[in-house]
Amino acid sequence: MPIKNRLADMHEEITGWRRHLHETPELLYEVHETAGFVVDRLREFGLTDITPGIGRTGVVAVIEGKTNTSGRVIGLRADMDALPIMEASGVDYASRTPGVMHACGHDGHTSILLGVAKYLSETRNFDGKVVLIFQPAEEGGAGGKAMCDDGLMDRWGIQEVYGLHNMPGFPVGAFAIRPGPLLASADEFEITVTGKGGHAANPHEAVDTTLVASQIVVSLQSIVARNVNPLKRVVVTVGTFQTDSNASNVIAHQVRMKGTVRTLDPDERALAEERVRRVVENTAAAFGAQAEVIWEEGYPVTVNSPQETRHAVEAARAVSDHVDDETDPIMPAEDFSFMLEQRPGAYIFLGNGDTPMCHHPAYVFDDEAIPLGCSWFAELVERRMPAA
Amino acid sequence: MPIKNRFAELLPEIAEWRQTIHAHPEIGFELDHTAPLVAEKLRAFGCDEVVTGIGETGVVGVIRGRTDSRGQVIGLRGDMDALPILEQSGAAYASQNPGVMHACGHDGHTAMLLGAAKYLAETRNFDGTVVLLFQPAEELGSGAKAMIDDGVMDRFGVKEVYGMHNMPGLPVGQFAIRPGAMLAATDEFFVEVTGRGGHAAKPNEAIDPTVTASQIILALQSIVSRNADPVEQGVLSVTSVQTSSTAYNVIPQSVKLRGTVRTHSAHMQDMIEARLGEMARSVADGFGAQAEVTYLRHVPITINAEEPTAFATGIAEAVSGGCSEAPLIMGGEDFAYMLQERPGAFIYVGNGDSAALHHPEYNFDDEAIPAGCSWFAELVERRMPTAQA
Repeated sequence: MPIKNRLADMHEEITGWRRHLHETPELLYEVHETAGFVVDRLREFGLTDITPGIGRTGVVAVIEGKTNTSGRVIGLRADMDALPIMEASGVDYASRTPGVMHACGHDGHTSILLGVAKYLSETRNFDGKVVLIFQPAEEGGAGGKAMCDDGLMDRWGIQEVYGLHNMPGFPVGAFAIRPGPLLASADEFEITVTGKGGHAANPHEAVDTTLVASQIVVSLQSIVARNVNPLKRVVVTVGTFQTDSNASNVIAHQVRMKGTVRTLDPDERALAEERVRRVVENTAAAFGAQAEVIWEEGYPVTVNSPQETRHAVEAARAVSDHVDDETDPIMPAEDFSFMLEQRPGAYIFLGNGDTPMCHHPAYVFDDEAIPLGCSWFAELVERRMPAA
Repeated sequence: MPIKNRFAELLPEIAEWRQTIHAHPEIGFELDHTAPLVAEKLRAFGCDEVVTGIGETGVVGVIRGRTDSRGQVIGLRGDMDALPILEQSGAAYASQNPGVMHACGHDGHTAMLLGAAKYLAETRNFDGTVVLLFQPAEELGSGAKAMIDDGVMDRFGVKEVYGMHNMPGLPVGQFAIRPGAMLAATDEFFVEVTGRGGHAAKPNEAIDPTVTASQIILALQSIVSRNADPVEQGVLSVTSVQTSSTAYNVIPQSVKLRGTVRTHSAHMQDMIEARLGEMARSVADGFGAQAEVTYLRHVPITINAEEPTAFATGIAEAVSGGCSEAPLIMGGEDFAYMLQERPGAFIYVGNGDSAALHHPEYNFDDEAIPAGCSWFAELVERRMPTAQA
């Protein structure tokens, strides 16, 4: 029996929570109502060990199994925040806050984990402890890191962590995962090149910043082509290039460029940063210009540990016949990576069917995926910490 | 006698005109104060004809000599427009029009040509006709052409044209000139590089126009360094680059480049225009992108005709005791259009140790007025001598 009967029974109730959250989306750390809703539901389930305010607005709750001879503690994580997007999904429970939308399905993730919490608090059919982690600010605010910095892992004694994300393009009912890197690191850089502005007709009296910046853009391509191990994957993209003058007869004094570096390997990430800095600074110096690189470290690589990935695959196979355990990694980033840096664990993709992609204004979370997501978490807990 | 005595006497009056014009600067063709002032003075001097509205707001004055035995007609040109610059010269007569300034000395050019007109209308000591050409919109590069398009050369029978520009760095009252090319053609180009936009993390699904445009900018530098004859001059500057997106995590759909080409010869201009198009399109093609090139020729090369230049040099030497060889300049001058129509010459008169042209602290030096006026008047009298002389 793939989906747990009890969770199938709860489908309508969980869907109701999901649609309520969808109507009331909140951004980054400002998830006050959402976190309050989560705490209220957890209390209704009879849970008492509930701690809000971890990582500013994150919520942590504990469910004890019938027994705890194993001493095992498993963390299950969901994200609560929405995106600054004007919703165009056309659903009748669309966002009531114009310009804010659950366009990444975090409403679904939170509801699935609440459903799991209700089921586990009723059944407690496991030997050990489950820690529920509801995090804020996944979308660019590093909420996962904020919770870790608040001592999440040590304070609750978490030994393994698991999370899931819906995935448009994969059929509902399908799971996809791989051991090792699953999502990329995403760092942002800003380059300011300063030459010497002047009249376009007198290049010899100027240092042509536009030419220097162009050399930099071209030279940066050599990092992927020549410095990165050809078996590894790295992307260096210069996304914007703006001269400080827009006149045809003025040599620009300054050029600003912004871009991103994506990698699937922490060593390659460090190499890419070092090479970007050297290429930029030395190319500028060779032309008599100066360059400043501001490096904003973003999310690290999301790396699934091998053993925990196997547990995740086994739980998924118990729930579904469509489990790909060697899916391709993807280059977007995910801040569950901070938790996976601290503890072994695994992150899995849950099919969302043929919908527009995440972050699209017409994206819709498919409620049919709820029982599958809930069952996967529940199976994982019950298999990993079997009751005596 | 270098400077004509009459101009030494007239200096305070001409300087006052200059300072009045300086205090009321106007842009482009919008010369509501300046053009009527010029026309009114020309009428007061007793010019034989004063015609306004040539090339929108240009003014033409005609002065006939005592005799006209050979049908000679010389055009003398002054420019009247100012620049969109906030004046910081500190002059007592500074601009009363904030953000607009005579920062290129056209106030001086107009006043000197008015001074020459007053003298010539008084004396008429020449055999032929002088046509005074006061033009608008030199700074837009279109005022001279507008007057030509209105038929100014044929209508007034102009056979030669002469013009003057002040030159900071050259001692006041000194002259400089050169035969052949003197100022550059100022061309403008636009290249729109279109790739295929996408997510910054998925370059394989996109065609990155930023990398393509950067390669084009680098490749264009080889036109001057590798295609041009090393003894010729040319400048190609890409001055503006704008990606269609400003997000760090988006590969833009397109990138717009803009720049300028400056040349001193027709074949350099033709060569660079052709190579720019070939290079941009070919490099883009190599990356699977497209480059759409728009090339605009603005002001042509300012070319001084041999014989009139030699004559003008002789006049300058007579007025100030010498005349140096002018440096080639990569800037442009729209008197070039008149020199395309008729033989003639363009000369620099020294403005001394002033701030550079187009600088907010620049000011025209009134001490240059007697030299400038004398050059115009002497040129007319020697080029079209009366029988008695």
